[in-house]
Amino acid sequence: MNILYLLIPLGLVLVAIMVAAFFWATKSGQFDDLETPAVQILLDDDSKPMRHDRKSRDA
Amino acid sequence: MPSLETCFHCGSGAAISVRAFGVDGIERSFCCGGCAAATGLIFAQGLERYYAFRTASDQAPRYEQRSWSIYDRDRALRSYTHVREDGDRELSLQIDGMHCAACAWLLDNSLRQLEGIRDIQVNAGSARAEIRFDPAQVPLSRVLHSIYTLGYEPRPLSFTPGAATWLVERRTALKRLAVAGFGMMQVMTYAVSLYAGALQGIAPELEQLLRFVSLLVATPVVLYAAQPFFIAAWRGLREHTLVMDLPVALSIAAAYLWSVWSTLRGHGAVYFDSAVMFTFFLLLGRFVEMSLRNGFGLQQDAIARLLPESILRITAAGEERVIPDELCAGDRVRILPGERVPADGEILCGRTEIDESMLTGESLPRARAAGENLIAGTLNLANAVDMRITGVGQDSTLAAVSRLLERARASRPHIAEAADAVAVWFVAGVLVLALIAALYWLHVDAARAFPTVLAVLVVTCPCALSLATPAALAAATTQLSRMGLIVTRGRALETLARADCVVFDKTGTLTYGQPVLTEIRLLRADASRERSLAIAAALERHSEHPIARAFAKESPAPSVSDSRSWSGLGVEGRIGEQRYRIGRAEFVRELCATPVAAPHIPEGRSSILLGDTEGLLAEFVLCDALRADAGRAFEQLRRLGLEALIASGDRAAVVTSVARQLDGPRSLGDLTAADKLAYVHSLQAQRRIVAMVGDGVNDAPVLAGADVSVAIGGGTDLAKVTADIVMLGEALAPLPAGIETARRCMRIIRQNLAWAVLYNAAAVPLAASGWLQPWMAAIGMSASSLLVTLNALRLLRAPRPAAAASDLPHHPPQVSPA
Repeated sequence: MNILYLLIPLGLVLVAIMVAAFFWATKSGQFDDLETPAVQILLDDDSKPMRHDRKSRDA
Repeated sequence: MPSLETCFHCGSGAAISVRAFGVDGIERSFCCGGCAAATGLIFAQGLERYYAFRTASDQAPRYEQRSWSIYDRDRALRSYTHVREDGDRELSLQIDGMHCAACAWLLDNSLRQLEGIRDIQVNAGSARAEIRFDPAQVPLSRVLHSIYTLGYEPRPLSFTPGAATWLVERRTALKRLAVAGFGMMQVMTYAVSLYAGALQGIAPELEQLLRFVSLLVATPVVLYAAQPFFIAAWRGLREHTLVMDLPVALSIAAAYLWSVWSTLRGHGAVYFDSAVMFTFFLLLGRFVEMSLRNGFGLQQDAIARLLPESILRITAAGEERVIPDELCAGDRVRILPGERVPADGEILCGRTEIDESMLTGESLPRARAAGENLIAGTLNLANAVDMRITGVGQDSTLAAVSRLLERARASRPHIAEAADAVAVWFVAGVLVLALIAALYWLHVDAARAFPTVLAVLVVTCPCALSLATPAALAAATTQLSRMGLIVTRGRALETLARADCVVFDKTGTLTYGQPVLTEIRLLRADASRERSLAIAAALERHSEHPIARAFAKESPAPSVSDSRSWSGLGVEGRIGEQRYRIGRAEFVRELCATPVAAPHIPEGRSSILLGDTEGLLAEFVLCDALRADAGRAFEQLRRLGLEALIASGDRAAVVTSVARQLDGPRSLGDLTAADKLAYVHSLQAQRRIVAMVGDGVNDAPVLAGADVSVAIGGGTDLAKVTADIVMLGEALAPLPAGIETARRCMRIIRQNLAWAVLYNAAAVPLAASGWLQPWMAAIGMSASSLLVTLNALRLLRAPRPAAAASDLPHHPPQVSPA
């Protein structure tokens, strides 16, 4: 059962990361619109090179 | 693939006028240059996948070159964009013509190719786009122009802090929900291990570790996620009221503190699981309710955003395009067809048709001529008109509507107040009960005292009582305003649901309140219908008499000279070489060179004559027509079990004839305002609940005397209206539909209250007798409050078709063929 002493703190770290990720996602507006992105994924096609570099997008 | 016969871009079968080779060398057909240009742009940017994924054809983009340079004015930049710390600007756009996610994708990818666009978020659901750009690299006009060339109509929205607060509120609530949710999952895992350990045996160090870890996870949940409950409870205490958050805060705090104490001591039970789960489910219920309320607020917001982006102002110096913010009362503006009216005002010259559906829910356009009022946000459909502005900003009708809605939200119906009053006693009762249970169990079995008290506190949270009633009211008010019924006092909803008879005023309520031309009788062989109408319209143009409005929609013959009007008799004027008169029979006959016989006019018919020096030309029969859907509204009211009555100041014979057309409801004529009031009081004396429908301004005292008053007002006098409910449209059909909705609302509130009472009656004894574990109580309570909130949400669904708003035409009857 000694493994629990490692696994439980590890679980805590994971939860902390999840909460942090959720906070970041909320702050960047990921949950403001829950409708469009669901359909939009069908359209984005990475095989087609975009002329404009997506890196200009900074959240 | 679209066939060669239809336009490649917009899919219309209109004549193909342009054939163009795309960058891929394939020839395609287009209906116009606009479509060809849009397709060219889409292919040039490598975005042709759009055509494969769109779900509907596009609107043809308008080919006309349009200048967007007005948006580069400083004033426009300041009104529509908002500067970030890094110098970029943010812009919100409403985009018309967007119909599916493919459009969002197209806009997103196309705009990203512009130099200087930092970020863009397109939302297909709400047809909104948020754009961050650098004005030094790309002017606002260029951004808008790019959208326009794709075939969409961008409409910049003023930067409103209101929407932003709403967003911040939603995001904060989501974050709290997430902390509580993740925390709950963890703590439940540990709790299950602890329960299992208690049954099967567990190493003491491990048990202690699990408790400490639970404490670690529960702490942010209690301190951060549960904060709103503590704040609300504290605020309530400071104002010396027992709010429903008090037992919530108490139980969370007690469970948490007790568990912390047990953990630190190293023995005793812990209740982290109950505290965390309780927090999470309560937050979930609040989140649903908040989304509902904000949806309502956003809808109002949408009304306020209907102003045009720019408008042509006419000054002594000439014409200039300005943004609506720059207008002030007294300005003269020209509204072109297809443009929206920028402010309230009066038409100076021109005649047109106006779409007022945004305000009234009515789909058919209404004719408006010089002298009539226009309301900000309505859409000009037919001709260019000049207008003098009478009300901007806070003085406009839109602002009045928002204020009315605001007032309704501020006042609450009796049932909500009663529920709140009961909630105070309920909270007090719960606290006393918890105390009694505590004292009892301390004597009988001290170890079970704390969990029992906790279960009592948790299980009895009066959320169903205090939370679900506002949710039901918000949902019902939203539903009613979609029908064009604005509830201005919270109490109205309740009384409307209980009303058992509806008293209608006649003039202006059951009828349109204006004489309408119903028939033309030609009196001479050489007279023609069109010519007579044109002459009449031309003569009446210069008259202030209400009858003149009956002719306002007809196109007048040109150039009347020497026009004179005789009060009470009619109008005379000259067209070309001929003199004409229109008005009462004897007045028109005087003009004739040779005496002519008076035409036979049947009794009880009101009509005017048109004649020239040669003799009489035509008879125009006028009447104040019944509203198109009055019969149907009466029938629906009857089906709902209400008695519809007519009380009018008009002659008894006229009132009876109107009543006959409506399947003979009880009707009274020749009443003064005082008589009507007395009549309403006599009905009330028979213990009936009276809804009075009037035009809101003339019969204000009678309306005030009724239990619930409904004003039907074309939307222009909203500021003066004192009625409990205002019907914005010209139709009566929303009234029965509204009564039905009000009844459903009350039914749902009663269901919710009944559920709350039943649930507590069953759960409290169980909890007080020690049968319920705190975590069971948390689940039961949360499920109960979620249930009532979801029940309230049912109101947002459209009413059953039987009572749905009428689809009959709501305009006055047109002239019937002679």
